[in-house]
Amino acid sequence: MKKISLLVLVQLFLLTGPSQGQPVRIAYLQSDIHQLPCWVALEKGFFEKEGVKVEVAGIFKAGPELMSAFAAGALDVGYVGVAPATTAVANKTARVVVLAQVNTEGSAIVVKKDGQIRGIPELVDKVAVVPGHATVQDSLFRRALLKFKIQPDRVKIMVLKPPEMIGALRTDQIDAFVAWEPYPAKAVTMGLGRVLAASRDIWKDHPCCVLATDAKFLETQLEKAKGVVRGHVKAIDFIRQHREEAVKVGVKYTGMDEASVWLAMDNVNYTPFLSVEGEKEYVDFLTKLKYIKVEDVQIFVDRFMRPEFVKEIIKR
Amino acid sequence: MKKEHFLIPLSVILIWQGFSSLQVIPSYKLPSPVQIILGFKDLLIVGVPPGNLLHNHMLYSLYRVALGYAIAALLAIPLGLLMGWSPPLLRMTRSLFEVVRPIPPLAWIPIAILWFGIGIKSAAFIIFLGAFFPILLNTISGVLSIHPILIEAARTLHAKEKDIFLKVLLPGAVPSIFVGMRIGIGIGWMTLVAAEFTGVKEGYGLGYMIMTARDIQRPDEILAGMLVIGVIGLLIDIGLRTVESRTIKWQ
Amino acid sequence: MSLDFIDLSKTFLGRGLGESVHVLDQIRYRIENGQFVSIVGPSGCGKTTLLRIIAGLEKASAGRVLLDGEELIHGSETIGLVFQEYALFPWRTTLQNIEMGLEIKGVDREKRCLTAMEYIKTFDLSGFEHRYPRELSGGMKQRVAIARTLIMNPRVVLMDEPFGSLDSQTRNGLQEFLLGIWGKRGDTILFVTHNVDEAVFLSDQIIVLSRRPARIVKTFEAGLPRPRDRTGQECNEIRREVLKVLSKAT
Repeated sequence: MKKISLLVLVQLFLLTGPSQGQPVRIAYLQSDIHQLPCWVALEKGFFEKEGVKVEVAGIFKAGPELMSAFAAGALDVGYVGVAPATTAVANKTARVVVLAQVNTEGSAIVVKKDGQIRGIPELVDKVAVVPGHATVQDSLFRRALLKFKIQPDRVKIMVLKPPEMIGALRTDQIDAFVAWEPYPAKAVTMGLGRVLAASRDIWKDHPCCVLATDAKFLETQLEKAKGVVRGHVKAIDFIRQHREEAVKVGVKYTGMDEASVWLAMDNVNYTPFLSVEGEKEYVDFLTKLKYIKVEDVQIFVDRFMRPEFVKEIIKR
Repeated sequence: MKKEHFLIPLSVILIWQGFSSLQVIPSYKLPSPVQIILGFKDLLIVGVPPGNLLHNHMLYSLYRVALGYAIAALLAIPLGLLMGWSPPLLRMTRSLFEVVRPIPPLAWIPIAILWFGIGIKSAAFIIFLGAFFPILLNTISGVLSIHPILIEAARTLHAKEKDIFLKVLLPGAVPSIFVGMRIGIGIGWMTLVAAEFTGVKEGYGLGYMIMTARDIQRPDEILAGMLVIGVIGLLIDIGLRTVESRTIKWQ
Repeated sequence: MSLDFIDLSKTFLGRGLGESVHVLDQIRYRIENGQFVSIVGPSGCGKTTLLRIIAGLEKASAGRVLLDGEELIHGSETIGLVFQEYALFPWRTTLQNIEMGLEIKGVDREKRCLTAMEYIKTFDLSGFEHRYPRELSGGMKQRVAIARTLIMNPRVVLMDEPFGSLDSQTRNGLQEFLLGIWGKRGDTILFVTHNVDEAVFLSDQIIVLSRRPARIVKTFEAGLPRPRDRTGQECNEIRREVLKVLSKAT
């Protein structure tokens, strides 16, 4: 009897495997208020409540860096901009699948408060910074320029990490920055910056951050992935219903003051529903910018996004 | 150009291509040699970010290095000659330099940006820091290594201090100065590329190019860019060595 | 022209807890114009220090050096020094080494080149004027060093074991060469050596110094007519005398 139960135990252990015991490696972007659902889920233990143990495997300065970590196999789940995620998958450096939206809108172009720049056309021959090439902010900015029939190469577009942007604006190193909230809000509450255009003015309801998972992780640990998405949906609900508490979490994770965080959250729309049409626009745009080359847009998007996950969860 | 020089690199490349073709090495981690060559073509024709071509990246990087390096050499060589010549001066200044020298140039980046902004001046400053100390230290050592008897011989030929400085110290220290200059340009070139990672106003630079290739997830372009950097570094060193051998015929 | 040493003494002060070293003890001598005087003595006795004091590279602790009755002021163009280690400037060609003194003096390029080329001819260095010291043999290097000194026409030529690092054949050749040059020019030479044969072959006078602190033990008149027979009887006699004194002084 003892022998058999021991065998059974061993089999069970082998079946579940050591990987089952390991926490899910999750990553997010530094001081990016779009990632609030992730932080809320971590603070309130929403992932644990779905039976999923998580550990924070990385906090990144911008999307491309996070995608590099996916490429290196160091992450299971990431809260990241959909543009860098699309670029990485299209250029075949990372294999991720997007399971849920995190937010739409929530970025802005900021200029100096008492500066001369009143409109986007006045940015010609000026210096503007984005958090990285092929980020959502980069795409948004170029889209804005093209809307005004300005070729992006007529503006000096540089890369600077968001924590350095406000300082650079203050000392007139740059004329404008494009960043995710709460950096625009912070620039405003500091009395230093003025929003030239919010991202919703450039592209209404544009998708921004998504919940992405490593493809292999999705294959081998489907249940855990589902658990993560459930926790994520719960967190978004929580933000809607308990805004003040959510702000406190935002303050904790961004290190910024409450006023800035409130203002920032006003510019962000948290939702779990994926926009396939929005993604197709991104693919189009990134291709036009020559960042990626995709043969069949539909096939790409089908493989890249799985809106059915969230639909299934919400139904229940 | 002997055959043996190419044997090992060629075999490495062939084996590598073999492994890549068989997908033993996945291409997103390490592109194959063929992919890198194609990536190089893209750097030349399409540019990274698209529209910014390779030759312009090269020119801007070279310009930044030339600026920082020139200032470093112009300051370090005379200062090194003086410090080597005057023991009290050496004693007084040594402790200051010995504290600053171990600070890696890259650690200066935040300060450089505060002082000089984002642009060529802060990049040149970082290069300056990297190149200055090897040139200075080697110049000093060049002076100190001159056999005292040569200075005495000059004195017996009625050399005054100025003569000794110009006719004995300077020519005698030249081999060491060249050593310092080669080391300095090596460090300067390496430092430049890393310094460009932090931000480049003009939108051009080899380090900036690589970082952008990373942003848009093109490891083939990253590696092609790295090779370009390595080759340029090699060419610069060969150039300096050639100047050195033409100048110092007496060793 | 006369060169006088009046009670020259030299003590090197010890550093820290080291002891002082008394090197020279009341050296008193007169050298007349055009004479070839050798100084011999045990190793380390201070021969080199004496030369360095006259050349102005060291300061005497006591006593004076007089040139024609006047205190010798250093930096004036009177005293030449040839080192044992040649001390040629490695980055200068033969021609450039020889003309170094003239260059420092400010002589214009054409004139000093012409003068230097004369010396190159006289010193048997033709064909090597554009070579660097590393390409020259030991004997040639020393000839360059001597030419470099003599081109300045010093009042006194000091030579510190100039042939010490050469093999005996080269050394003998250079001794004869030196005598030839000296015969034509008539320089006043003060020649330090530890090789008694050499001193006997070359000199008018031989000064024997004692061990440290060095005193003049004895001086010899070695004024045999030249050319001398190294193995001849007269040379042997003088050599014997000198060696006797030397062994007692050691």
